[in-house]
Amino acid sequence: MKILVCIKQVPDMESRFRPNGEKTWYDESDLAFRMNEYDEYAVEQAVQLKEQLGGEPEITVLSIGPERTVEAIKKALAMGGDRAVHIRDDRYYQKDPWQIASMIASYAKGEGFDLIFTGMQSQDRGSAQVGVIVAELLGVSCATTLVGFSYDGGTITVKRELEGGIKGVAKLKLPALVTCQLGLNTPRYPTLPNIMKAKKKEIASLTAAELTGEAELTATAAIYPPAKKGGGLVLEGEIGAQVDRLMGILKEKTAVLR
Amino acid sequence: MDFELSQDHKVLRDSVREFVEKEIKPIAMQIDEEHMIPDSLVNKMAEMGFLGSYLPEEYDGAGLDMLSYAIVVEEVSKACGSSGVLISAHTSLACGPIYTFGTEAQKKKWLPALNTGKVIGCFLLTEPDAGSDAGAISTTYRREGDEFVINGSKIFITNGGYRGTGVLFATSDKSLKHRGVSAFIIDLNSPGVEILKNEKKLGIRGSYTTAFALDSVRIPAENLLGQEGQGFKIAMDTLNGGRIGIASQALGIAEGAFERALAYSKERKQFDHPICELQAVQFKLADMYTRIETSKLMTYKAACLKDAKKNYTAESAMCKMLASEAATYVTKEAIQIHGGYGFICDYEVERMFRDAKITEIYEGTNEVQRVVISKILLS
Ligand SMILES: Cc1cc2nc3c(=O)[nH]c(=O)nc-3n(C[C@H](O)[C@H](O)[C@H](O)COP(=O)(O)OP(=O)(O)OC[C@H]3O[C@@H](n4cnc5c(N)ncnc54)[C@H](O)[C@@H]3O)c2cc1C
Ligand SMILES: Cc1cc2nc3c(=O)[nH]c(=O)nc-3n(C[C@H](O)[C@H](O)[C@H](O)COP(=O)(O)OP(=O)(O)OC[C@H]3O[C@@H](n4cnc5c(N)ncnc54)[C@H](O)[C@@H]3O)c2cc1C
Repeated sequence: MKILVCIKQVPDMESRFRPNGEKTWYDESDLAFRMNEYDEYAVEQAVQLKEQLGGEPEITVLSIGPERTVEAIKKALAMGGDRAVHIRDDRYYQKDPWQIASMIASYAKGEGFDLIFTGMQSQDRGSAQVGVIVAELLGVSCATTLVGFSYDGGTITVKRELEGGIKGVAKLKLPALVTCQLGLNTPRYPTLPNIMKAKKKEIASLTAAELTGEAELTATAAIYPPAKKGGGLVLEGEIGAQVDRLMGILKEKTAVLR
Repeated sequence: MDFELSQDHKVLRDSVREFVEKEIKPIAMQIDEEHMIPDSLVNKMAEMGFLGSYLPEEYDGAGLDMLSYAIVVEEVSKACGSSGVLISAHTSLACGPIYTFGTEAQKKKWLPALNTGKVIGCFLLTEPDAGSDAGAISTTYRREGDEFVINGSKIFITNGGYRGTGVLFATSDKSLKHRGVSAFIIDLNSPGVEILKNEKKLGIRGSYTTAFALDSVRIPAENLLGQEGQGFKIAMDTLNGGRIGIASQALGIAEGAFERALAYSKERKQFDHPICELQAVQFKLADMYTRIETSKLMTYKAACLKDAKKNYTAESAMCKMLASEAATYVTKEAIQIHGGYGFICDYEVERMFRDAKITEIYEGTNEVQRVVISKILLS
């Protein structure tokens, strides 16, 4: 069995976020980076499946991004991935989900993966589209937002998180792609011996240009912090007059009293 | 010159940090109060490979380098100084000398259990009348057939309470001073080894500090570490490496206190403003951070020199001195920034203040570090 896990390196959510000079991404000098949390569940699920099957499946980890992305890749290898593909792309943040998915699909097409794990979404962009588009481009079945996973004889049974606290169960035949929700499992810590072993694992390096890329469908026009709200208005004076002023403001500026 | 950690070291640091945040930080206060690191945590740290980080894979170590080890001790100590010194004394003072001075047979016999944390290691040098003057130890050994017979006592032994594997120093003739000292590997479950007490102390309360009586303890002759008479050299070489571990522990304690003080200074409001807007507080933060970063540079430098198999005696003495003094200074100022709250146990900087002090004392007091450094300068 061949398994692919797609991971992304994202800014640590506790970093300080400021738009960069082009105003299309963040100023990275202030940011610390880590593996997208959703993807940690994807890696863990793949490794658990490999363990269930006595170590037979080969797990390839794929990530698109600049040089620093290798840190996230190495973590995934230390968690139990067998080999990795790093698609080097310093301008990855300008690509929309369609372009990212088409790059992944272009790589995966010839590889014959039986099962692809991705995170449900990324913590920075949060589009939740890459996984499903890859499935569509490869023509494989797909289930999203996994909170449960089991495998038996070529079929996977997944529990999906639906709206309103409802769960759904689906059965899919391989090949398939699944996207993983937080809480699907308990991602393991990379141990020191496994970090050492990961150093010897293959990380193949491709450039974005080597893959068939698509033109963008959406472009980021600008990113900016929300405008600072004013300090608010404090009404003072005699209570009746305050009520009158409040009524006036509500009538004038809102729809509540119309 | 490049002062960045490599990608591999960053992956290691982040992984250790994640473990520490989830598994150690929540119980650090409990460890201090109960004077005990739970066995479950010792086992988890062993599974993570924290107890054999820089020992080779062929002896079931993780096969990483000294810098990785320093990072592990630092990250662990940010949350818990007791757990930090457990790792440091075990790795530097027990695994270290057995690896460096042991025969192939000794390494095969003792290291796998130590490196995987099945057995906890310790270092038995200090005695009631021999601390800084380690050449003056009076625990004796004599040869009897295929065995050495040991008599005497040892005090202040970190990790002693685990009764694991020790590296023990004893003399054949006290009048020979340091030339009479030899080193042995001892199984602390041997008959004649008696634990007199585990000390109560100011800080690192979760760490065992054990006094032993050694009454005609028989050690197989094959457990002699190095040559007879080489013991003092082994002890000094071992402490040389160990100081990098203590510097890392001190650095971690300082960083843990600094993180809390910085965050608190932004939250705490007095006179209608966060206290971080006061220059009096800002200057404290600047001084604290500067001492931390200076210590970190020297500690990492000493580790890198050891990895490069270059001489690092002065650097290890300097980093131990710098980092321990940074730790006592930073933890004291962290309490001050917390005002009255800092004095209260719940705010944890109180524990860090208590944990910091020992780093100026063990593995050579800071006065002894100054002796070491000035000797090198004047030699
Ligand atoms: C919690 C704890 C854990 C320990 N763990 C271990 C362990 O695992 N294994 C082990 O073998 N030991 C251990 N020790 C012992 C520790 O290394 C010694 O306490 C330390 O070396 C100092 O020795 P001493 O206590 O006898 O002090 P002393 O040597 O009596 O020193 C007293 C004072 O005199 C100063 N002084 C002494 N000689 C000189 C000099 N030549 N020049 C200038 N000043 C000098 C010292 O700096 C100090 O200020 C531990 C101690 C403690 C408290
Ligand atoms: C054991 C104990 C006993 C006590 N007993 C009593 C008691 O009996 N009765 C009582 O009323 N109180 C008592 N206190 C309270 C004590 O007086 C206060 O803790 C102390 O005044 C500091 O206030 P704070 O803790 O709110 O710190 P904060 O005022 O929040 O100070 C935090 C930090 O900011 C600094 N800072 C604050 N303002 C300024 C400024 N303008 N310029 C420069 N630096 C500034 C402080 O110096 C400190 O470093 C006690 C406290 C303790 C811990």
